[in-house]
Amino acid sequence: MSATDTATDVPLPARKKRFNRNEVLAALIFVLPFVVVYAVLFIYPTLQMIWLSFHKAPLIGPGTFIGLDNYAKLFKDKLFGVAFWNTVYFVVLTVVPATLTALAIAIGVNRLKGWMQSLILACFFIPYILPVSVVFRVWGWMFDSQFGVLQPLIALVAGDNVPVFRTLPLFMPTVAFITVWWTIGFNILLFIAGLRNISPEIYEAAALDGTSKWRQFTRITWPLIWPVTVLVLTIQLIAQFKIFDQVYLFGNGGRSDATMGLVQLIYRSAFQKNNGGYGATVAVVLFLIIVVFSVLQFQMLRARGEK
Amino acid sequence: MADIRLVNVSKHFGQVRVIENVSMTIGSGEFMVFLGPSGCGKSTLLRMIAGLEDIDGGEIHIGDRRVDELPPAERGVAMVFQNYALYPHMTVRENMSFGLQNIRTPKQEIAKRVAAAAKTLELEHLIDRKPGQLSGGQRQRVAIGRAIVRDPKAFLFDEPLSNLDAGLRARTRIEFAQLHQRLKTTMIFVTHDQIEAMTLADRIVVMNNRKIEQIGTPMEIYSRPASRFVAAFVGSPSMNFLAVQQLSDRDGKAVVRLPDNSEILTGIASSRLPSDGQVTFGIRPESVKVSANGAVSGKADVVERLGERTLAYVRLSDNSVVIAEDEGQSRINVGDQVKLDFDGASSHLFDVRDVAYSAG
Repeated sequence: MSATDTATDVPLPARKKRFNRNEVLAALIFVLPFVVVYAVLFIYPTLQMIWLSFHKAPLIGPGTFIGLDNYAKLFKDKLFGVAFWNTVYFVVLTVVPATLTALAIAIGVNRLKGWMQSLILACFFIPYILPVSVVFRVWGWMFDSQFGVLQPLIALVAGDNVPVFRTLPLFMPTVAFITVWWTIGFNILLFIAGLRNISPEIYEAAALDGTSKWRQFTRITWPLIWPVTVLVLTIQLIAQFKIFDQVYLFGNGGRSDATMGLVQLIYRSAFQKNNGGYGATVAVVLFLIIVVFSVLQFQMLRARGEK
Repeated sequence: MADIRLVNVSKHFGQVRVIENVSMTIGSGEFMVFLGPSGCGKSTLLRMIAGLEDIDGGEIHIGDRRVDELPPAERGVAMVFQNYALYPHMTVRENMSFGLQNIRTPKQEIAKRVAAAAKTLELEHLIDRKPGQLSGGQRQRVAIGRAIVRDPKAFLFDEPLSNLDAGLRARTRIEFAQLHQRLKTTMIFVTHDQIEAMTLADRIVVMNNRKIEQIGTPMEIYSRPASRFVAAFVGSPSMNFLAVQQLSDRDGKAVVRLPDNSEILTGIASSRLPSDGQVTFGIRPESVKVSANGAVSGKADVVERLGERTLAYVRLSDNSVVIAEDEGQSRINVGDQVKLDFDGASSHLFDVRDVAYSAG
C-alpha cells in the first residue's frame, strides 16, 4: 500500500486499473491447477518427510517422536559417510567432465552442415533415450570379465582381464564414464541451442578484427555461452547428486556397502530395513545438500559471468 | 586510403548466381553507395570486398594488392554491420580495443586511439557501458568507433541506418557525411534508401537483379537514368510512366502522343531512338506542373500537401494516372478538373528493353 501512497505522480484511476478484479480472478484460475498439484504432490509430501525424520517410525504407519535423534545417529553412521563421499566423488567425476565434453562436441557438431550435422547429433543423442536397464546390459556385456569386447583392450593395458565392476577403485570412474556417455546428448543439445543463439555477424566482426580461433573461443564463444554452461552445470549437479540406478545395477552382487550412494542409503533404510524415519532423515540431508550446492553454484557462476 | 577495383567478379550459391561479372573502380577517398532493392546482390558484393564471402570468379584489388585470397583482417578494411554486431559482453571500450589487441598494438596506443574515437563520436561518457545499456543510435556510433580505431584503408557500411527511427536516421546521415569529410577515407555504403544514396554519395552504383544497372554521380543517376529500373527506383515520388500511342518527329526531336491524344515535344533526338517506334514516356513529377495553360487535362484523385509543394495524382481521360506538382499553397481539391503542363525537355523515353533515352 505504501507504494500507492508515495507514488503521487501516478493518477489513482490508472493504479486501480492494474488490479482489475476480473484479471485477478482469471489469473487465479490459471495458476490454481498448478498450485493444487504442486501443493499436494510436492509441498505436502516434503513436509511429511521432514516431519517423519523426527520420528522412529516404519515406512508406513505411526512412530514415536524422537526429536533430532535420527540426525545425531546419521552423523555417527559410517555408512552415511561412505554414501556421502561416494556421491561427492561421483559428482566430481561426472559434472565438469560431462559439461566440458558436451561443449567440445557441440562446437564440433555446430561446424557441420546439413544432414551430416543431423546424423552426428543423432548419434550423440541416441544413448540419452535408452532406459537405464539397456545401458546396464550394453556396458555390462562390453565390460564382462570373460567375454566382454573391451577386455582385450583392458588386457593390453592391465596384462589380464579385469572384472571392472568388482574392482573398487575402477567402479566409480567406470560408472561415471558410462553416465557421461549416456546423458551427454541432452547437454550437447543445450549447448548447440546456445551456440546457435550467437549471431553469425559477431563472428564476422571478429574475423574482420583479426581474431585467432583460440581467442575467438576464449573471448567470444566462451563468455557468450557462459549462461548455458551455468545451466548445464547446475542441471548436472542436481542430477548426479541423485545418482542411484547405475550404481545400484552395476554394484548389485558386489560390495554394495562400499559403492553405495546417498539415494541408495535412503532406499535401503526405508524400503529394505523399513526404517522410514532414518530414510527420511538421509533424504532431508540430501535435499539440503542439493539446494545449497545448486543455489550456491548457480549464484557464483552467474556472478562470474556478469563481471 | 586506397582505391578498390573489382574485375569481373561473380558469385553463386549452389545453382543460383547472385553476382554476375561485376566490374568497377572505387576511387581513393571516394564515398560510393551501392543502391538497390532487397536481394539485388549489393550486400553480397560488399561482403565479398570485406572477405566474408568467397568469390567464384574475377579479382578484387584494394590499393596495389590483390586481396580476394586474403582473410578479412588482412584486407585493411573495417565494416559496420546492419545490426552493429557489437560484442554484447564487452564494454564500449573493450569493443573498440578488441581488434587492436588482436594485432598486439601497444596498450598506450590503443588507449590513445580509443579515446580519440570516443571523443569524435561523443561516446566518452558511455565508454564503460555494455551494448545492452545503449540506445540504437549509440550502438551505431560504437560500431563506427570500432571501425575508426583500426585506421582502415576503406570503410564498408552495410545498411547501417536501417535500424534507426526516421529522425535519428536523418541526423546520422549528416554525421556520416561529416565523418567522410573529416576522414577522407574510401567508403562503401550499402542501402536500399535512395535518399541516403542521393545525399551521401560521390557516386552511386544502382544494382538490380544481381547486375549493375548504372554507375554515376547522384545527379547523373537522377537526371540521366540508364534504364527504366533506375528511373523508377531513384526519386520520390517515383517517375510517371505513360504509354506512347505514336512517336513522330519535329525538327529532329521526338514527339510523343499520349493515350489521351495530347502531344508532347521531348528534348530527345529522334535519330537515337529505336526504329520500331515502341517506347514508353517517362517524366518526373516536378516536370509536370498544374497550370491553367496546360495542354493535358484530368481529374485530381488524391492531393498530398507536403508544405513546400503539393502533389496531385491526376487521372487522365484514358484512366492513366500522372503525379503532378503544384505550389505549396495549392488551391486544388480532390475531384477538381486540372490542366497539366508537361516539360517535355526534361522527359525520358524507354524502349522495349527498358533502355533509357534522355535529352541532351
